[in-house]
Amino acid sequence: MSSEQYQVPTGSGSQAPGGSRNFDAEPPTAMHYLCGDCATRVRLEKGQPIRCGSCGARVLYKERTKRMVQFEAR
Amino acid sequence: MKPSKEELERRNIVGVGAERVTNVTSTDYPGHFPGEDHAWDLGYFRDNVTIEFHKNEPLEAEFSLIGVDASIANAFRRMMIADVPTFAIETVHMEKNTSVIQDEVLSHRLGLIPFKGGKTGFRKFMKFYKKPEDGEEHSYVDFNTIQLSLNVECTHNKKAAKNETDVTKLYNHAHVYASDIEFNPVGRQEQYFSGDNAIVPVHPDILIAKMRPGQQINCSLLMHKGVGSDHAKFSPVATASYRLMPTIKIKSPILGEDAKKFQKCFPKGVIELQTVTRKESKEEGPFKGKEGEWKAVVVDPMRDTVSRECLRHDEFKDKVELGRKRDHFIYSVESTGQWRSDEIFLEAVALFKEKAKKFEHQVINMAR
Repeated sequence: MSSEQYQVPTGSGSQAPGGSRNFDAEPPTAMHYLCGDCATRVRLEKGQPIRCGSCGARVLYKERTKRMVQFEAR
Repeated sequence: MKPSKEELERRNIVGVGAERVTNVTSTDYPGHFPGEDHAWDLGYFRDNVTIEFHKNEPLEAEFSLIGVDASIANAFRRMMIADVPTFAIETVHMEKNTSVIQDEVLSHRLGLIPFKGGKTGFRKFMKFYKKPEDGEEHSYVDFNTIQLSLNVECTHNKKAAKNETDVTKLYNHAHVYASDIEFNPVGRQEQYFSGDNAIVPVHPDILIAKMRPGQQINCSLLMHKGVGSDHAKFSPVATASYRLMPTIKIKSPILGEDAKKFQKCFPKGVIELQTVTRKESKEEGPFKGKEGEWKAVVVDPMRDTVSRECLRHDEFKDKVELGRKRDHFIYSVESTGQWRSDEIFLEAVALFKEKAKKFEHQVINMAR
């Protein structure tokens, strides 16, 4: 498994839905994607152009969830 | 008034014509023939039932069950398929799967792999797992769940030759096999399933998935005891079927070239060509003066497939009578390897007895 573990979102009940959130607790600003062309892991900040850093391809794929997924073997 | 031997044989044979079957229903029950008592009798049944094995290998058995009604024979067949329990993977917890095979498809494939383990543990210790109702917590304990895991990663093989093209040599774990599945015993499973009794796939070289370097499969698998009526993956047999014993009656002799042609109408070994002996040729009858000629003789009707080919030829049409014995069932049981093939039948018989006892109890309660 990779070093970053999936953090279970902990929404506190006191916040009103749609209201302002507390962003002090390190908001996830960067996301990782997989390049559709060269398959390297691409780190993207908020607002960055969607583009692979190493080969310049513009097709990026979302990574697989780090959560466990349960299936029935049927 | 007792029926003659010929009459009993006639009743016991299902006729097979070129385009139809005759005498299909059994008649051995009370009230069908006036003056005859066909009431079911344990002693009569015990004396008349026979089982004869023709082939008994761990993965395949063929045997005859003679002297029972079709309903009983069919019950055994159905119970072998749907009621004899085995192990199979039921739940897959997928942590990582970067191979090209989709999670669902991989899970399904894992479910179909047959596993074997210690028989005492399987019979006495392991219980059926009960699926939780809505809102209930699942209850995985050592006597209803077996934990397995599959953790494989494909990497480049550094030792491979430079111009190697075989992917199994070029990469480590390019192919994921059933033998890569590990058994993780918990609780008392250690004492029932260790050493020779460990839970392993019956066939270690079942291909589960193919991978390339950088791809990885990590998952934990939960296995339960189950029955075939729930899902075919729990069925202990690949096939369990029966057919009725064929009969071939040659009414008037088939001689010479006709005999050779007649032999070719059947699978190998059913009909034999014999020469008419001097003694036969001297006696009054169909063989008179035919010494040294070929005659067709039925030697092994069990091998016949009852293709009815001989009935298509005009020269044989009235000389031969095809049929099947109504109470002679030739079973063919092919095991998936968790039980020995003959054990499956015994297990079915034991289950049948258990069910009959339960039914008896209910009937008694009903009559009260």
